[in-house]
Amino acid sequence: MMDYAGRVAQADTYPKMLRLNAKEHGNEIALREKDLGLWRTLTWNDYQTRVHDFTLGMVELGIKRGDVIGIIGDNRPDWVAAEIAAHAIGGLSLGMYRESLPDEVLYLLTYGETKIVFAEDEEQVDKLLELGERAPHLKHIVYSDPRGMRKYDDPRLILADDLAARGRELAAREPGLYDRMVDATDGNDVAILCTTSGTTSNPKLAMLKPGLMLRHCATYLTFDPKGPEDEYVSVLPLPWIMEQVYALGKGLLSRMKVNFVEEPETMMNDFREIAPTFVLFAPRIWESIAADVRARVMDSSALKQRLYDIGMKSGLAALAQGKHSAVADTLLFRALRDRLGFTRLRSAATGGAALGPDTFKFFRAMGVPLRTLYGQTETLGAFTLHKPDEVDPDTTGIAMGESIKIEIRDPDANGVGEIVVSHPNMFSGYYKNEAATNADLRGGWMFSGDAGYFNASQQLVVIDRIKDLAQTARGDRFSPQYIENKLKFSPYVAEAVALGDGRDYLAAMICIRFSIVSKWAEKNRISFTTYTDLSSRPETYELLRKEVEAVNATLPPAQRISKFLLLYKELDADDGELTRTRKVRRTVINEKYGDIIEAIYSDRPDIDIDTTIRFQDGTTQRIRCTLPVVDLRAQNQTAEAAE
Amino acid sequence: MAYALEVRGVSLRFGGVRALTDVSFGVNEGELFSIIGPNGAGKTSIVNCVSGRYTPTEGQLFYQGRDITGLKPNHRAALGIGRTFQNLALFHHMTVLDNIMVGRHHLLKNNFITGPLYWLTGARREELEHRRKVEEIIDFLDLQSVRKATAGTLSYGLRKRVELARAMALEPKLILLDEPMAGMNFEEKEDMARYIVDLNEEYGMTVMMIEHDMGVVMDISHRVTVLDFGRKIAEGLPADVLDDPHVKKAYLGEEDEVLDALDDSLPVAEASA
Repeated sequence: MMDYAGRVAQADTYPKMLRLNAKEHGNEIALREKDLGLWRTLTWNDYQTRVHDFTLGMVELGIKRGDVIGIIGDNRPDWVAAEIAAHAIGGLSLGMYRESLPDEVLYLLTYGETKIVFAEDEEQVDKLLELGERAPHLKHIVYSDPRGMRKYDDPRLILADDLAARGRELAAREPGLYDRMVDATDGNDVAILCTTSGTTSNPKLAMLKPGLMLRHCATYLTFDPKGPEDEYVSVLPLPWIMEQVYALGKGLLSRMKVNFVEEPETMMNDFREIAPTFVLFAPRIWESIAADVRARVMDSSALKQRLYDIGMKSGLAALAQGKHSAVADTLLFRALRDRLGFTRLRSAATGGAALGPDTFKFFRAMGVPLRTLYGQTETLGAFTLHKPDEVDPDTTGIAMGESIKIEIRDPDANGVGEIVVSHPNMFSGYYKNEAATNADLRGGWMFSGDAGYFNASQQLVVIDRIKDLAQTARGDRFSPQYIENKLKFSPYVAEAVALGDGRDYLAAMICIRFSIVSKWAEKNRISFTTYTDLSSRPETYELLRKEVEAVNATLPPAQRISKFLLLYKELDADDGELTRTRKVRRTVINEKYGDIIEAIYSDRPDIDIDTTIRFQDGTTQRIRCTLPVVDLRAQNQTAEAAE
Repeated sequence: MAYALEVRGVSLRFGGVRALTDVSFGVNEGELFSIIGPNGAGKTSIVNCVSGRYTPTEGQLFYQGRDITGLKPNHRAALGIGRTFQNLALFHHMTVLDNIMVGRHHLLKNNFITGPLYWLTGARREELEHRRKVEEIIDFLDLQSVRKATAGTLSYGLRKRVELARAMALEPKLILLDEPMAGMNFEEKEDMARYIVDLNEEYGMTVMMIEHDMGVVMDISHRVTVLDFGRKIAEGLPADVLDDPHVKKAYLGEEDEVLDALDDSLPVAEASA
């Protein structure tokens, strides 16, 4: 294992670490990017050159120490180079989600008084130009992809290659300037502004220090070692803390190769070509991979379906005994791992929300060493992880290092309370928001707002956000998200919202997974026109009813879904219904669908809908339909009586 | 200024059917020029005359000042005239990549004898060079995710895009698009319109497009010609053409009172055409 802490002692900022790597391993591969169908490599020297040129180019543009430097776009080498260049200049890097709407971008730009933004391509540049006078601080927009840019003559625009060329000109005039700037960087200065994936409308910006970030990565790497032989594919959003940890912190510290895919649409294909040794996916992605496998099996020949069933059965049986089935591996899993690009995986993780135990078992049986991690932006990402030999899908593992202290505050009778954490490398407060800092960071402890407890084997179990735990009128506490995840494990369910807080019983609003349900409908010769039409078909209702009944069978009686309906549209982050990481925003849902929710609980057999939905391109469509409400209370009572 | 493409007095007859009657127009260098008209107006016949599938019964065609009326389609392609088809004409069992590569066939120097002598004859270098060009087109049209997919398995909208890619691979100076948006949904149409504008602006290709969708035509075209029953009834800027009473009658349909007024004026227009 590498001496991670030793390397951080030598170089405590990103530009310093990059320089160290370039000096010692200059010709080794640091990054790869797929472009025009080929994987192109960047060595540590190339990487440093790009950062060097960007840094000095920004100096030429008048960017100074303390300035906030925005970055928005797909994950690309220029994205990470821009961040390190921002640090080299003594500025603060601020990553923005690439799907952010212009107003969301405006909020962040105004908040940080951002003067320069690295915007990948026309799509992102359009957003920034659309802001016009509303973003008076914005003086420079750097773009990497010149496609479609010919029509603009805004003086703020500059091509990334031209910026780099200006940087090289400055370097020729002032040799040694870049090195002096790198020497001046200090790991104890705040250099990263990281948006928190809060469920409120405007994100807070956590201030992170690169020195602490690298030290926290060292702790993480000691628990789950990585080295230059490791391959990582960067597909999580770079503004998110965990991708900051992997693509930058761990990438620089362990020198694992970071690969960037060609386009988001080619991700699974590129992923397979690289066959990474480590992967972190959000539960939603693991679930959709599993759902996709099932959907493809549904489409395949009877023989293949049979082989899949046999393989899956013996694989799961072996897993239950802590073994690995060679038969299942030969029949099914080896081919499946290859198809999914998991052949070289040595470590795999999920986090951010609960992953259905069935999905978890599906991948473990396949031989994917899936583990759960847990953490927040404020704690510099994950701080708990399963030990390789103690994996329990219901928990999030143990603290990664001895310096990490976790406590449960105000536990109830069952030991459930708020998870608080303290370690030496935490965030330094929220940018320009002392009130929020004081609310969450008390006496060196970060109050996570998550409800959890330690189980018998001292592993941390995270249930849900404390404020999201709900209670029925009868006093039964439940976690809506837990139930929603169970529903979403069905391949036919894309999104679900569990209701029941302060009500007599639980109910659910379900969005069908159009790609799968439409295929099912085609196969069964059920004609439909739109999403709305398909989800209001009686046949679709019958299909989903079985799925809900199956979920109910796994839940304790008080938490069973008594009523459900199929929503006329998919929940969408652009409508504010989901967070950017696709968690349900309950306040928005409760407000927006208040009428429907009331109707569900008013004992009417169906609900008339007359509403207008707005598409991304600004067009609107009026929707008029009748949503039936399915009542399962009778079945539930029969089932309960039978138990 | 000389036209990039000039159609001069072209008529086309199939036995007793007059598909085109004395049609004349010119497309300027670098222009995005559209031809519209109701079904059976002779739009595709014009494209076929220009690309060389049909030989006009009367009239002449000039490409960059040169008379191409008698040239075969492959010679016209070599001169820099590319096209797409209204009803897709892809190789269904080949990959998207190979389909596009076919578009570069006339640019390949190696043949089936020199090709196998891979390193000696420069076939390797040539293949790499062409592949790079094709990848640029794939990038331009956002086809990365279907690069290796079999063409026949793709959605209609995507296949249309692959057809455009193949026509682009020819590196034409003039590209003829036969209803590039037919049968597409709203989103696909928007994408395609974007590509056509970029094709014209970024690649500098002269575009002659036939299209049914008036909204798209009016949004992106520089000039428009309107055909009806094989005759040209109007030509000009999109806005002017839209206002033209003959066009309203022939293509868009109109309120009764306007129609009545038009009935009187139409024979005059036809006589002058």
